[in-house]
Parts: sequence; C-alpha cells; structure tokens
Amino acid sequence: KPTAPARTRKEKEPFQIDFMSPLDGSAADVIFTHASSNSNISLPKKDWRSKTRNLLPDDKHFNSKQLLSLFLKPKAKMGRKMALGRGVFGNTNQPEGDIQPGDMDEAFWAQQKAPLGGGENGAIPQGDYDA
Amino acid sequence: PHIVNVFRDAQRTTASHRKLVVSLRKVQEACCYEPTSNKKSSIGDFEEDEFNLEFTRCVLRVMPVKKSESVGEKTVRFIGLFLRYAIEKDNEYLGEEDQDASTMPETPSMRLTNYLMETVLPLLQSKDKFVRYRSTQLISHIINSLDAIDDDLFQKLRQGLLKRIRDKEAMVRSQAVLGLGRLAGNQIEGAGDTEGSDEDASSGLLEKLLEVLQNDPSADVRRSLLVNLPILPNTLPYLLERARDQDAMTRRAVYARLLPALGDFRHLSLNMREKLLRWGLRDRDENVRKAAGRLFRERWIEDCAGIPEMTEDGKALEIAEPSMDGLLELLERIDVVNSGVENGVAIEAMKGFWEGRPDYREFVTFDDAFWQTLSAEAVFLARSYNDFCRNDGSGNYLGLVEEKLPEVTKLGFYLEAYIKALIETIKRNEANDNGGEEEEEEDTVEQEFIVEQLLHIALTLDYSDEVGRRKMFALLRQSLSIPELPDEITKLTVNVLRDICAPDIAGEREFCSVVLEAVADVHDTIVDDDPVDDPEESFHSARSEISGDSTPTKNGRGKSKEPELSEEEARAKALKEILINLKCLNIVQCMLTNVGGNLKENESLVSMLNNLVVPAVRSHETPVRERGLVCLGLCALLDRSLAEENLTLFIHFYAKGHSALQITALQILTDILNVHGAQLLSGNPTLLKVYIKALRSGSKNPEVQAAATTAVCKLLLGRAVTDPEACADLLRTLVVSYFDPISSENQGVRQALNYFLPVFCYSRLENQDLMRSIALDTLHSLYNIREGLEEEDVDTDDMITLAAIGACLVDWTDPRKCFIPGLPLDAEKKKDVNGDVHLDLLMDILSKLRGNVNKEEKKAIVSLFSKLYISPSSSEEKMNEAYDDISSAVEEKLLTDVTGRNAILKIHTALGKIHNSLQEAAEG
Repeated sequence: KPTAPARTRKEKEPFQIDFMSPLDGSAADVIFTHASSNSNISLPKKDWRSKTRNLLPDDKHFNSKQLLSLFLKPKAKMGRKMALGRGVFGNTNQPEGDIQPGDMDEAFWAQQKAPLGGGENGAIPQGDYDA
Repeated sequence: PHIVNVFRDAQRTTASHRKLVVSLRKVQEACCYEPTSNKKSSIGDFEEDEFNLEFTRCVLRVMPVKKSESVGEKTVRFIGLFLRYAIEKDNEYLGEEDQDASTMPETPSMRLTNYLMETVLPLLQSKDKFVRYRSTQLISHIINSLDAIDDDLFQKLRQGLLKRIRDKEAMVRSQAVLGLGRLAGNQIEGAGDTEGSDEDASSGLLEKLLEVLQNDPSADVRRSLLVNLPILPNTLPYLLERARDQDAMTRRAVYARLLPALGDFRHLSLNMREKLLRWGLRDRDENVRKAAGRLFRERWIEDCAGIPEMTEDGKALEIAEPSMDGLLELLERIDVVNSGVENGVAIEAMKGFWEGRPDYREFVTFDDAFWQTLSAEAVFLARSYNDFCRNDGSGNYLGLVEEKLPEVTKLGFYLEAYIKALIETIKRNEANDNGGEEEEEEDTVEQEFIVEQLLHIALTLDYSDEVGRRKMFALLRQSLSIPELPDEITKLTVNVLRDICAPDIAGEREFCSVVLEAVADVHDTIVDDDPVDDPEESFHSARSEISGDSTPTKNGRGKSKEPELSEEEARAKALKEILINLKCLNIVQCMLTNVGGNLKENESLVSMLNNLVVPAVRSHETPVRERGLVCLGLCALLDRSLAEENLTLFIHFYAKGHSALQITALQILTDILNVHGAQLLSGNPTLLKVYIKALRSGSKNPEVQAAATTAVCKLLLGRAVTDPEACADLLRTLVVSYFDPISSENQGVRQALNYFLPVFCYSRLENQDLMRSIALDTLHSLYNIREGLEEEDVDTDDMITLAAIGACLVDWTDPRKCFIPGLPLDAEKKKDVNGDVHLDLLMDILSKLRGNVNKEEKKAIVSLFSKLYISPSSSEEKMNEAYDDISSAVEEKLLTDVTGRNAILKIHTALGKIHNSLQEAAEG
C-alpha cells in the first residue's frame, strides 16, 4: 500500500498529532499489523446473547415507607404516639408525610423508637390521620 | 505541505473547521482543476493522486490515537466535513444535468473517498484496539456524513463493519453500530426499487443490529444503536423495549432522545403510552424520571395543543400557546379514566406538568360552565391542579386555589348533582338488567370517575366555614345511605366525613355514629317495605334479629309476611341480602380504617362488632365471611383482648384459606403484632410457625411469600418481635430465601430484602450480632440447597456461590458499617470501631471448622477469614478470648491444606499484634 513516508511522533501533554515529522517503524507497525486471528479481537460467543436481554426485572416498586404503616390502615403510622388533636381538617394534608424513601437508611431506623404496646396494658393503637 | 498545516490546525478546535475546509478545498481544486488548460490533461491526474496520497497519509496519522484524546475525534469530524463539502462542490461543477443520473458521477472527491476508504478498511482488522477504534470511527463517521456512496465500496464497508459489531472492545462495537445503523436505514428506504437479494441483505443487517440492541453486554453499544437505528414499524418495539434497559442512561435516552424524535406520540398504542409513562415517571433513576416528565409536559402536550411549527431539522420554532382543549386531549390520550385512579400514573404525570408549566398554571380557568359540564378529563384536570397547588411545599400556589377553585358550598352542590346523576344511571342500568349496553357502562365508569375526583378535591378542603361544612356533611351522610354507591366512592366519602368531624375523640365518636346510622339505612333496604323512619331504631331491631350462625338479616318480618315466594324470587332475595350485607361491611371497613380510639369505650362500635361483624365472620357466604374477617381484624387493632381472643381464628383463616385470604390473614396478624406488641407472638408458637411457613411458600405460592417477606421485614425493623429465638428463626429464613434460587425470580421478595437486609444489619449492633449468630447455620442450609440442586442435576448457575454468600454475610456483620450515633456512615472513617462482632464470628467459624464439615462448605468458610475486620478497638476480653482460640487452632493444626493454614496464620498474626500491644499497655 502507498503512504510510504509515514512518520509520527507523539508528544506528551497537551497531546497533538504531529502530522509533519517522520515516523518510526514501530508506529507504522501498530497501524498496519493485523490481528493474528479474528477470535483474538472478537467478543467470545457466549457474550453474544444475554438471558435477560439486558432488561430490568419487573419493578415491584418496593417502597420502604410501607414499612412504616399498617397494612390495614395505611394512613396510620406505626411507632408514633397517637396524635389526636393535631392539625385541623384537610389543610394539613400531606399524604406522604415528610419522610422520603431515600432518607430511610440505617441511620433512620437506628433512631426509630421501639413500638408502643410493649408492656403497657391496653396500649392504644397509634393513629395519625392527616387525610 | 499545506495539507499538513490544515490538519494540524483542525485537531485543535472544531470552531475553525469551516474555514479550514474551504482552504483545503482550494488546495484540492488547485490540484484537480488546474485552469492552465495545456497542463490539465497531462499533470492534472498526477497532482490529484499526490493530493489524495498526502491527505490519506495525514488521516492514517490519526489511527493510533487513543480514545481519550479529543484531538482524534476532532480530526475525524474534520475529515467528514471536508469530504462532504468537497463532494458537494464537485457536484456543483458537474452542473445540473448529471444530478439525477442514476449512476454516481466520478468526481475527484469521490475518487479521494474511495481511495481513503480502501486504505482504511484493512485497518479494521488491526491488532491494536485503538487503530480498530479509530478506523471504525472514521468509516462510520464518513458513512454518516455522506449522502451517497459507491456501490462496491458500500458492500465492503458493510462487510467490514459487520465484523466489528462482535469486536472484543465495546468502544469499537459502539462505533461500528453507528455506521451500520445508517446503512440499515438507507437500505430500507431504497428497498422498494432494488432487487430482492438486496432487500434480504438489508433485513439481515437490521436483524443483526436488533439482536445486538438486545444482547450486547455494553450499555454504550445498546445506547448508540438506540439513537441511530431507523425508527420503523418493525424496529419500534425493540427500541421502546429499551425503556426497561438495565442501564439508566440508556433508559434516559429512550425518553430524552428516541421518543422526542419519534414524532406524534398519538401514533403509539394507548397501552404503550401508559406503559412508557409509568415506567419513565416511576423509574428508579432520577434522571430518567426527569426526562420522562419533560417528555410529557413539553412534547406530548404540544402534539395535542397545537401544531408547533417545525423547522427542517425537527426543532420546534416556538412553544405552542397554552390550550385547554389540548390539555384535555392529552389527558384523554393517556386514558385518564384508567390512569387517573389511585396509584395511577396520571397523578404523577400531572403533578410534574403543573410544576414545569407555569404558563398553563396561570392559563387555566375553572368557571361555572366548566363545573356544570364536567368530563373525566376536565375533572381530573381540576383535581390535579388542586392537589398540586395545595401540596407544593412552598405554599406559593395557595393563592391560585383561592382564586380559581370554587368554595366548599359550591363544590358541595356540584358534587350533589354528579352523585345524583350517577345513582340514576346505575339504577337505570339495573332496571334494564341485561341491557348492559357498552355505551351505558362506559357512561357509568366516567360518572363514577367524576364523583371520585370531586371527592378527592373535597378531601383537601378547609371546613372551617360552617355553611359549607354543613352542606357537605349532610350531602355525604345522605349519599352514604344509598346502597348502590360504588365501593371506591364509599371509601372516599367516609374519608371526607372523618375529615369534616373534629380530629379529637369527640369528633371520632360523632364520625362513628353518623357512619353507623348510614349503615343501618343501607341495611334496612333488605326489607322490601318502606324503610323504617328512625334509622337508630331499625338498627337496634336489626341486631335483635341476628342469630349467631347466619348472615345478619332483619327480614324475619318480611318473610313472615310473604311466605309464598317462588324459588326464583327467594334466590333473588337471598342474593340481594348478600349484596346489602357486603355493602354494610364495606362501609364499616372504611370507617374502621379511620378510627384510632379504644373500641370498648365506644358503644356504637361494640354493638356494630357484635351485630354485624361477628355474624359476618361466621357467615356461610364466602365473600361476606372474608370481608367480615378484615373488619374483625380492624376491630382487633382497637382492642387488645379482642386481638388475643381471635388470634387463633386469624391463624385458622391462614391455614385454610386461598392465597389472597392467606395474605389478608398475614397482614392482619402483622398489624396486630405491631400494634399490641410482641408478647402475643412469644405466647403463641403456632403463630411463629405461620410466618416461617409463609416465608417458605415460594415454590407453591410466590405472592404469599412476598407478602410474608414484607410483613416480617416490618416486624423485625419495627422491633415488634423481641424474643431472640423468634428473631433468629425469622431472620434465618429470610436470608435463606434471599439466596434460594426458588425465590430468585420472585421480585417482591428480592426487592424487599435488597432493602431490608443491609438496613436491618447496619442500623443496630444487636441486629448485626443477630445476623452473626445465624450466619454459619444459614450458610449450611444454603450449602444443602445447593447440594440438592446438584443431585437433581439442576443447573446451579442460577444460584450464587457459597463463597459469595459468605462474603455477603461477612459484609452485613462488618462492624465498620454499623450506624453509630454521631459518626458519619462512611466505613473508611470508622476504623476504630468496636469489632467484637467479627471476633465472635471468627470464633464461630473456628468452632464450626472443629466440627464435621463437608469439603465444599469448608472451602467457603475458610475463604471468610480474609474478609473479617479485626479492629484494634475491640473489647479486651473478647480480644483475649479470640486470640486464645485462634492460637490453639494453630497449635492443633486445625487446617492442614496450604490455603487454610495460611489463612489461619495470617489472622493469627493480625490478632497477635493487637493482642501484644494490649498486653504491653496493660503492663506498661
């Protein structure tokens, strides 16, 4: 092939291609040496297929906040004293409370109080009805 | 020489590319179109060759440049730009006559391109990955820069690039698909007027690329295909599928690039629109969510709101004016009647819409005419607007609500009218009975939806205005007495009523008594006679009629009056009774969800329990019984002794029920434990067994397993279980099912545990120690599971290795990762933490190794040694104990193989150092 007088020299910082100066044989080798076999430069066949088609599994939208409320009374928060008399009417309506699922890390749980009803007799179920 | 200078400048900045292209073109023209006519024929060719040679020489210089060097990319872009420009100029010189000739004219620039490509093509097979990268990049770039390519060359490029989509290097593959994507698009376009063989070839190419799109392990490759493949009916499903790609940036590209480029979203199927919106807005990655939100409020709305003028390159000239009709159509196009219900995606979509579209926020108006002619879309618009303005944390938009939305009284009147219309439609449908015409049905659905949305608005209102409050109270109380009221509306009505009553104990009483009055009214309709006037009295009379073993009825009187009912009539009557009973239970359930006070202190609740709920639980009618169960569960939350008395009953429902009922029973039991405390569990070994069994029900009943997993996570994290034995049993079962291949497909289980296990362990030292105490047991169980798989010749690839499981266990018990008040969560900064838990684990391991362990399991256990963290700040006592233990292990030559011996010696040395320094400190 042509391009006989090919030559190049790499400089360090800031990298520039030197289009002018001569090129040593090793650089030409780098450019023109073929791979010894096709498989050496190819993806192994087992990686051609992906079992999952690289898709996410079905998202169940596990929400850590669901761990804070009762199943039957989703609006009632556990582990908080009954807050009767707190807030008036719908204006305090903050359906999601002020906790974001992202905040519920180990520190959050470390600071959670143990639930009511431990030893107290006839403990009052907690409710916190905002809505 | 000049060529060299141009290239030198071109690599520096793309800003001067235009200028450089022009000047290089001058050189080229000077070589190829020398005006001195006598020389042209003789030297012209020679000079053109010279130019091409020098040009190609410079291009080759770019080939070994690393991917990270930006000069490489800049030069490649310059080359593409130049060739494009040069070919255009050549064609201009050729004049118009040749423009639409079917064969490609031979021009100097075409010759240059061909020559260049022929030179670069072999480099695709280069041994050096950067040469492969740059040559692929250059070829793909040129393909994308040029409008047309010589046919022979085209085939060669295609062949060359096709090999590179299987390159070992992702960077090469992603360049290769860039070029091929374009080729695939071209071929499809031309497929009509080429012969069959070509068509086959092109579809073959497309198929290959789609396969790569699904299967390539590198997200960059998939993403680059995603934005470069032609959008066609047969590629679209594959492209849209990437909305669920594992890689967040690829998912984002679907929303930020593919879908905006797609054109009018209304061409997508309704189903697809809903899915895309839901996936995008609820993505786990924030950037995907943002891109999806923007797509909805900036692109989809424009598709409906008005034809924003498009420039040629597909950019909107300006945003269309806000349009009410457009917005309503948008809601219709996402099927708001279905997507706007609770947990539907339309709620999130509109929240983002109002947030991001201040123009619409100001623009919308809701006048009387609007409220009088509500459609599903219109009412949802108002509801979402109301929600947005009230819930926005800043409070900046409360003024808008005042200004644009009607006050309580007015809303009450509208609500009244729509409820009335709904009930009339329902009754008319019932009367027509079999005349279930679809149109009518759709009508009911929309009317229901309208009422629901109005009630959602009512839930947010301020009832301090007495007139409005009374209006709403009376209306809701009255509606609740209508047996035909659909369940969802009942639920919302009860919720609003709770809100209207004061939040204190007295308010709760008022609320209960008014709801129970309505229940009595509904119940009275079982009698065909005129309903008794005084609801209170009728309710009492209802009670007295109820015998323990049948559904609660109060129609003894009715029956005795008309003893001659035909069989059919009797059946109809029985059916009606069941329906009415179900309705009563439904109302009661909604009420109880809103009650927090003590049951026994509220007499009307007690009588409701005895006269309605208890008989229902004993009913022979399954639906009545099951709904009664939930109500009984809710009552049990309000009274501890009631809970205790009925624990066995709930367990019975779990044992005998179908899976949905099992889930309900589990939830009731869990709520009871959470409310009334753990003693109930310690006093009842059967209950613990229920949980363990449910956690293991994966192969039979994945949903039950998932529900049980969430329930147990809740109990453990909320510390509703305290008994150490019980905790250990539960945690052990959770960890085993986490790694058990049976539940690996059960995303409900996996996703809950993904969250739970680290958070549980890292939140308290006790939890970490609990995990430590079960770690080796668990590993052993999992070893058995693995063995079992091998015996049955099941592929064990789906199960992670024992060593990896062990690594998880060690990680969960790592003392540096445990939360300590006042310290940052970053493990690196907590080297000085008390490390007793891993010392204990070390001793557990040693004692396990002293016992009888299978070789495979032993190997996994030994691999744990190197992962333990030996903290210098552990307690001295524990340190001594552990040191003695490991020393004797060394002496007695516990492990004889090389790996084992080294592992033990290493940890012995580590401990020894700390141990000695402790000794010295004690002595000195």
